Amino acid sequence: MSSPFDQVIITGDGEEWEESDLSLLETLDHVLNRGLVIAGEITISVADIDLIFVGLNVLVSSVETAHEVMRKRQTE
Amino acid sequence: MKLYVYCLAEAIETSAETVRGVSGAPVRLLKIDDLAALVSDVETDVVQVSRENVLDHAGVVRSVFDRTTPLPLRFGTLVTEQQLRSYVTTHKPALAAKLAHVRDCVEMSVKIIWEVSRDDQHEQRVPAQGPGTAFLAEKRSEILGDEIRAEEAKEISAWLHQSISGLTRDEQVNLRPSERLVLAAAHLIERAKLRQYREKMAESRENRPELHFLLSGPWPPYSFVNIGLEFKTQFGVS
Repeated sequence: MSSPFDQVIITGDGEEWEESDLSLLETLDHVLNRGLVIAGEITISVADIDLIFVGLNVLVSSVETAHEVMRKRQTE
Repeated sequence: MKLYVYCLAEAIETSAETVRGVSGAPVRLLKIDDLAALVSDVETDVVQVSRENVLDHAGVVRSVFDRTTPLPLRFGTLVTEQQLRSYVTTHKPALAAKLAHVRDCVEMSVKIIWEVSRDDQHEQRVPAQGPGTAFLAEKRSEILGDEIRAEEAKEISAWLHQSISGLTRDEQVNLRPSERLVLAAAHLIERAKLRQYREKMAESRENRPELHFLLSGPWPPYSFVNIGLEFKTQFGVS
């Protein structure tokens, strides 16, 4: 997917790392967890198995995974 | 027939013709008093969370965001036209205040992440004399580490706030929302100050190389529009 915003960058140890999946996860975080709620409840159906793990926790998990990959690359 | 609602906005007369809504539905503009709502007509009672639908929702909001700053609705908002009209009419002053608050602004998202290996720094190894002692030593270590992390998170939050002082119209900071996150912040930035904000953030990142940053934006102001949540907070309802 193309990134809907200018930049998603993880910085650390002098390295910058871009990942389109993070764009999607940030989009999910905003669109599903935030925004104006005008109805009492939001009714959504999660059918796609790859989107069941939605929200900040998965984002953090992905970031951790990204960092682990980065660290391994650096030590190799 | 229900309406799927993407956002509310002022000062728009037409929806972007090329944008598609959830499940490929056409998007139209619905005028309610002085506001415009971007909506799609849908037959179902439930909207499926799928990659396509989430991106379509974000795409419709962004098509407005390119022209003006809207009040984005959360994914999955399905209402009747009567309900929507009633909501807008009833909440007119609050919606007007929200629109004024976010006018000409964008949201920038900042997440700061602990070092992956930093847990080891706070562990104080105590020679285990038995299962009970080992358990207590481990608990003590956990509590000490937690207190230190809490203090560090506060310090980092204060530092970040100071770093971008004068550039934010509003901010929301969630300290330690999860084990690995120092903080998750949303900054409301005037479009005219965005370049300055980015420069300041770049400078801040350079000043704290031990921290990992996830920056994203500009976003429509998803984190600064929720009237309902503010009502609950104000009146202590959880």
